[in-house]
Amino acid sequence: MRLRPFELIEPESLAAVGAALAATDGDARVVAGGTALVPMLRLGVVRPGRVVSLHRVPALAEIAANNGELRLGAMATMAAIHRSAVVRDGWPLLAEAAGSVATPAIRSTATIGGNLAYAEPASDPAPALCCLEATVDIAGAAGSRSLPVARFLTGFYETALEPAEVVAAVRIPAVPAGARGGYVKFCPRSLEDKPLIGVAALVTIDDRTGRCRDARIALGAAAPTAIRAARAEAIVRDQALDERAIRAAAEAAAAEADPLADLMGSRDYRRRMVAVWVRRLLTSLAHREGRP
Amino acid sequence: MWPILRAIATHRACRVRAVLLRSAGDDAAPIEFAMTIALDLTINGQRCRTQAPDHWTVLDVLRDGLALTGTKDGCGEGVCGACTVLLDGLPVRACLVLAAYAAGRSLITIEGLSESDPLVDTFARLGAAQCGFCTPGMILSARALLAENPAPSVHDVREALAGNLCRCTGYVKIVEAVLTAARSYACASALSN
Repeated sequence: MRLRPFELIEPESLAAVGAALAATDGDARVVAGGTALVPMLRLGVVRPGRVVSLHRVPALAEIAANNGELRLGAMATMAAIHRSAVVRDGWPLLAEAAGSVATPAIRSTATIGGNLAYAEPASDPAPALCCLEATVDIAGAAGSRSLPVARFLTGFYETALEPAEVVAAVRIPAVPAGARGGYVKFCPRSLEDKPLIGVAALVTIDDRTGRCRDARIALGAAAPTAIRAARAEAIVRDQALDERAIRAAAEAAAAEADPLADLMGSRDYRRRMVAVWVRRLLTSLAHREGRP
Repeated sequence: MWPILRAIATHRACRVRAVLLRSAGDDAAPIEFAMTIALDLTINGQRCRTQAPDHWTVLDVLRDGLALTGTKDGCGEGVCGACTVLLDGLPVRACLVLAAYAAGRSLITIEGLSESDPLVDTFARLGAAQCGFCTPGMILSARALLAENPAPSVHDVREALAGNLCRCTGYVKIVEAVLTAARSYACASALSN
C-alpha cells in the first residue's frame, strides 16, 4: 500500500526548514529518518499536504565532543550513536540506550532528533537523556532556543515544539568522573518490541566511603513521558548502595511511576516491573567498576 | 544491467500514473503526480538514474519503478522485515525510507546476491526457506550482521534477525543457515589469503 500523496520539501539549511514550516500553515510534517512518521502517514494518523525532510541540511548528522560536552545533530542515527567511539568513551549509557532501540534495520535510519520530536513514552534513549541531563536545541522560523530534555517532553507524544520548529541538536554535559551508568529494558514479548518498562541510571559512588555521591534514575514507559524518579534518587543519595537502600529506592520509583495500561500490561503490572528493573539495574551497578 | 534497468524504468514510468490513480485511496479525489524526484543511485553495484513521485518510498521505487520484486512488501510499518535492503551497507526497511533519502547512495537488494553466495546457498540447502516471503529480508539482515561480526553466536544471530518475522520455519533452520554461511565466508576468506 502506498503512502497518501504529499509534496516533499528538501531544504538545505535549518533556516529554510523553519521558513518552509512557517509557510505551510500547520499542514506540514517534518521527517528525519522516517521510522516514526512513515508508519503514521501509511496508517493515515497524519495526513499532511507537505513533508519537510531534514536529510539535505548539511552537518545535521554530526556527532562531536567539545570541551567535555557531547553534541548530537538531530539527524544522528541510533546506529551511529551506538557505534561512535566518542559516545562510547564518554557517554556509554547513551551508546547502550541507542543500541537497544528496536532492531538493526530501524537503528540505521531512526534519529535522535526524530526520537525526541516523536516523544514516544516508551523511547529507549529518552530515559538515558534524562539521566544525562541533556539539553535540546530547537530551531525555528522565529529563532532558536534550548530546553532541558525534561521540559522538552511535555506529555504523551507531546513536546514543547511549536508548529514551525524542529529539533536541531541535543547537547549532553560531561558525565561525573567515576560515574557508572546502565540502561535496561523489559520486553515481555520479543526483543524488537518497544519496552514495557525501561530504566536508566547513573550513579557515582565515593571510593573512600562507599556511599552514593550522586544518583540519577530515569524511567521510560512508566509515565506519559520519560521521567526522573526523584524520590528514589533521594533515598540512595549519600547512602551505601546496599540491598536495603536499593529495595527502598525501587519501591519509591514504582510509587512515582504513573504508567498507562495497554495490551502489553496493566498499570499495576507496570508499576511492579518498575520496582523489579530498578532493583536489578542498581544491584548490577553497585557491583560494577566505576565507568561513566 | 544498467540499460535493462533504464528500459524497465522508462516502461514503468509510463504506467506509474495509472497505478497511482488506482491506489490514490478512499476519500482522495484522483490526483495526478509529477515524477518530481530525480534519483541517481547505485543499485547492486550498477549506477541507476530514475524518477519517483515525492511520496514514494525506496520499496515503491524498487518494486514498482524498477521491477526489482525480490524485495517483499509485507506490513508496510517496519515491523515484519520482509523489505529489508542494505543502504550504504546498513540494513534498512525499504518501506520506511522515503525515496529521496536514498538519493546518491548505494542499495543492495536480494537481486544483488548471486546464487553461489554462501547465505543464499545455505538458506536453500538447509531448508531455511519455506514459503520464501521473508527470505530476501532475512538474508540481507544476516549479511549486514556477518559484515560486522563474521563469527556470530546463536544469540547474535537471533538478535540481528529479531526484526525479521518468519511464519513457516520456526527460525531454527534460519539460525543454522546463518551460522553455516558464516563458516563458509570464513573459509572463503581464509583460502583467498
